[in-house]
Amino acid sequence: MIFLTVGTQFPFDRLVQAVDNIFEEALLGEEIFAQIGASLYKPRNFECVSCLDKRLFERWVQKASAIISHAGMGTITMALDNEKPILVMPRLRRYAEVVNDHQVAIARKFEEFGHVLAAYSTEQLPQKIMQLTTFVPKKRQSQAQLVVQRITKFLNELNVPGK
Amino acid sequence: MIRGNKLQICLAASAGGHTSELLKLVESWKGHDTFCITTTNVVTEELHKYGKVYVVGECNRQHPLKVIVVLMRCLKTVLRERPNVVISTGAALGCMACFIGKLIGAKVAWIDSITNVERLSLSGKMVRFIADLFLVQWPGLAERYTNVEYMGAVI
Repeated sequence: MIFLTVGTQFPFDRLVQAVDNIFEEALLGEEIFAQIGASLYKPRNFECVSCLDKRLFERWVQKASAIISHAGMGTITMALDNEKPILVMPRLRRYAEVVNDHQVAIARKFEEFGHVLAAYSTEQLPQKIMQLTTFVPKKRQSQAQLVVQRITKFLNELNVPGK
Repeated sequence: MIRGNKLQICLAASAGGHTSELLKLVESWKGHDTFCITTTNVVTEELHKYGKVYVVGECNRQHPLKVIVVLMRCLKTVLRERPNVVISTGAALGCMACFIGKLIGAKVAWIDSITNVERLSLSGKMVRFIADLFLVQWPGLAERYTNVEYMGAVI
């Protein structure tokens, strides 16, 4: 099962519709389940829900063999944490899919590091979806511990009695 | 007010990636009292481990009216909880929580989202002026802006 998700805040019809069309052309050997958020397009070829609770969402990620998603950091993080292959297509400002093009920047970076596959247009999707079946994402070395230490130090410095 | 050695910390993050980033930092506020402000209830259950969760609704700069509604809810929450510190990973909601917190004397820690690769987020640019700790997740950003520290990426 491939899990398709586009977050919940804004519609992303371009991706939902493109995946629906690709599925119809039988390019995919697998079933799809989708969280389509506020998207208006309703897929004909697979089941979808508008919104899942974060924990339920994670269960779908864990069940999936691969993920197709907008280039949202929540989904990318969850895919990496669960070591799932993920293909992202960034939302674009010019289609009013998001307020700025930060998703393009993060898709490029994470693609460059080998953590994700990225398609920058619907035309690139079919080929990238084919690659998804064999794609092994590179593990990410998190530096969260260093950030945690810095914040802890900051809080400790505030916490001096009498201050 | 600091009770004993405990701080009252406001954790503010929009649902989605901002919350995922915040949740990578849970070890930092161990031993302190916390409450959360977020945009939708999809993350409520997950955040509930870190105290009371206030859901104030989605907003962005395309919908000024919603911004006002969310701002008022944020204001009410922060005034009620009176945090000593606001920690936020963004976005607009986090920015509001930081400014309101600052007005009541709280210290502000901002972690600009990893998705801001070449420049700071719009919220981050504003919070930078009032932040007591401002962290970025790409080394280039720390070179480009003053009063900005790079320790690493949380993801």
